[in-house]
Amino acid sequence: MSQQTPGKKRKQKVKLDLTRRDFLTLAATAAGSAVAAQALTTGPLSPFSGLKQAQLTGEEIGGHTTGRHQWGMVVNLDTCIGCEYCQRACSATNDVAPDVPWNIVEEQQSASGRRYFFTRPCLHCQHAPCVEVCPVQATFVRDDGVVVMDYDRCIGCRYCMVACPYDARRFNWGKREDVNAFVPTWGIAEVERRPRGVVEKCTFCIHRIDAGLANGLVPGVDPEATPACVNICPVEARVFGDLKDPESRVAKLIENSPTFRLREELGTRPSVYYIPPKEGV
Amino acid sequence: MATSTAPIPRRLSISPRTGGWLGFLGLALLAGLTAAILVFARGLILTNLSNGVPWGLWITIDLSAIALGAGAFTLSAVVYLFGLKRLQPIVRLAVFVGFIGYTTALLTLVMDIGRPDRFWHPWVYWNIHSVLWEITWCITIYLAILIVEFLPVIVETKFFDRYPKFRTLAHRIHGAAPVLAVLGLLISLLHQSSLGATYGILRSRPIWFKPSMPIMFIISAVAVGPAVTMGVAFVIEWIRRKATVPHDILRLIARASGLALLLYAYIKFWDLAAVTYYGRTPGSDQAFSILSSFTPYGFGFWVGEIVIGILLPVLFFLVPRFNKRPGYLVLGAFLGMVGVIFNRWNVTVSGLVVPLDYAPGVDLTAVLPKPYIPNLTEWAVGLGVLGYALTMLTLGVRFLPLFRPSDETRH
Repeated sequence: MSQQTPGKKRKQKVKLDLTRRDFLTLAATAAGSAVAAQALTTGPLSPFSGLKQAQLTGEEIGGHTTGRHQWGMVVNLDTCIGCEYCQRACSATNDVAPDVPWNIVEEQQSASGRRYFFTRPCLHCQHAPCVEVCPVQATFVRDDGVVVMDYDRCIGCRYCMVACPYDARRFNWGKREDVNAFVPTWGIAEVERRPRGVVEKCTFCIHRIDAGLANGLVPGVDPEATPACVNICPVEARVFGDLKDPESRVAKLIENSPTFRLREELGTRPSVYYIPPKEGV
Repeated sequence: MATSTAPIPRRLSISPRTGGWLGFLGLALLAGLTAAILVFARGLILTNLSNGVPWGLWITIDLSAIALGAGAFTLSAVVYLFGLKRLQPIVRLAVFVGFIGYTTALLTLVMDIGRPDRFWHPWVYWNIHSVLWEITWCITIYLAILIVEFLPVIVETKFFDRYPKFRTLAHRIHGAAPVLAVLGLLISLLHQSSLGATYGILRSRPIWFKPSMPIMFIISAVAVGPAVTMGVAFVIEWIRRKATVPHDILRLIARASGLALLLYAYIKFWDLAAVTYYGRTPGSDQAFSILSSFTPYGFGFWVGEIVIGILLPVLFFLVPRFNKRPGYLVLGAFLGMVGVIFNRWNVTVSGLVVPLDYAPGVDLTAVLPKPYIPNLTEWAVGLGVLGYALTMLTLGVRFLPLFRPSDETRH
């Protein structure tokens, strides 16, 4: 109607058809939106401002796991010789694709220039970021502190991989058809291969822990009930056991050695403790 | 051929222009469908995604499509809640564009998850602590709202001449439009910003972990979503050579969009200043230095997000010289759209390319970040969903009364 004549009457003053009322309404919309967004996402109405993680992780606030045990590991970086046996035994026992291991071993240099080896299983955090973000509770912390996957529930969105601070998760991009070169030299596959499209991770060999406990064995003491990576280590750089049992080897090591956990400032509370190399990391 | 029932003379008259367009749409859909079938058959191994960069082009499309569909809730709320009845003539188109955006996102999402057969799990297995769970629910509910809001348009088609009962029923349901607008507004504010929170809450990622993430997502969506609807209205008008929505309404939207983009620019400025200057940490410093040395992050940010996505649209939307001309408004809407896509890409991929710093004493720069470039399969699916969106738009423009009868010359 009134517009549609561009160019010709350039000097004519543009009629501002935004009334004061319109402007205020729009401004209020924008401001209200921002306030609501703030309140709902990071503010007081946020669904994740006060995560009641206890319900999800089986952990009481400020306490420990609700179960009788809390399985944990101590990795001694001072004694590790970087032989990668742990990685191979793990990949054989859990039938993990050899090129995407759950366990990693990396050569590092300490500040003083001496080389050492850094190894990492899943750290089994008690405040696990992966558990918080999973939309379907396909990954959760068991009451014995082990973070496990439900492969039948996982939808493969991979948010847990994005959220994990320690790069401990692997996705099955395709159907596995490879022959696992580590079987049988480094162990026999004790669990099924995971199907295409789900995320997988280190389980602390729960199939051994659960079966062992049912047969009266002690995980961390009896090899049949202990993770494969711990059993095979030739220098005992990995020690496994119940963090809740003060008589366990892990509890004693933690009590008597200087230990640290990875990125403790994130508040993830990993169940894996590290003894640093003598000259420091 | 010679069926005698429908004596419509213009039935087979397809102009070369229309034919070419339909051909393009067909090819895009065919490419997308082929790639989709391959991916369903063989899995995500066909993409260039990896354990290091598990999210890529498709997640970018999801985020962008949802942000660009934000015109639906913004304009519905403005009309039905804030009483700016003048904007009524564009609401139908906005809801339609929103519907296309959300369904595009869902299509891509189904491609992107490893187990499409389990798409329904978030509805059954709840993790109320997960942002992604909340987003899934919000999007589901919001899509339902969009469909109800759009029902009147569907029942007004010729087809429903035969079923007047449906027509009255749908119109009665539509009486709840203001309630739907409230619900739609709340739910949209929640999930549009939660998409930013998806990244913002990850405390181990130095360049994501900040509370400004959800704010920037919601404001960019509110700024650009309506502008996209405005641009679409102009383009439809050019193609059909028939008026769609009064131009003063479209200009008003453009101006509001320009103001919202200024607000976005302001927040982005402070975000940048805080993260890279005043409140810098070793983590974010290192992340940015890695990004600038190994990826075109700087180009994407300054050229893609700031110049293309903010400065030019603001110029075209707010300066009277430009905003009187539909051409500039459409260009502005297009550039704003490109800017949002650049932003969502930068957020997603850049945050992932920076390696995680979890082992003490590890030199991050020694671990070369694995660059991620989408491969042909991913682009083909991208083209396919673009084809879907444009096909829906074409069909809608051709068969649905998107513009109120009073707005165009009837019969």
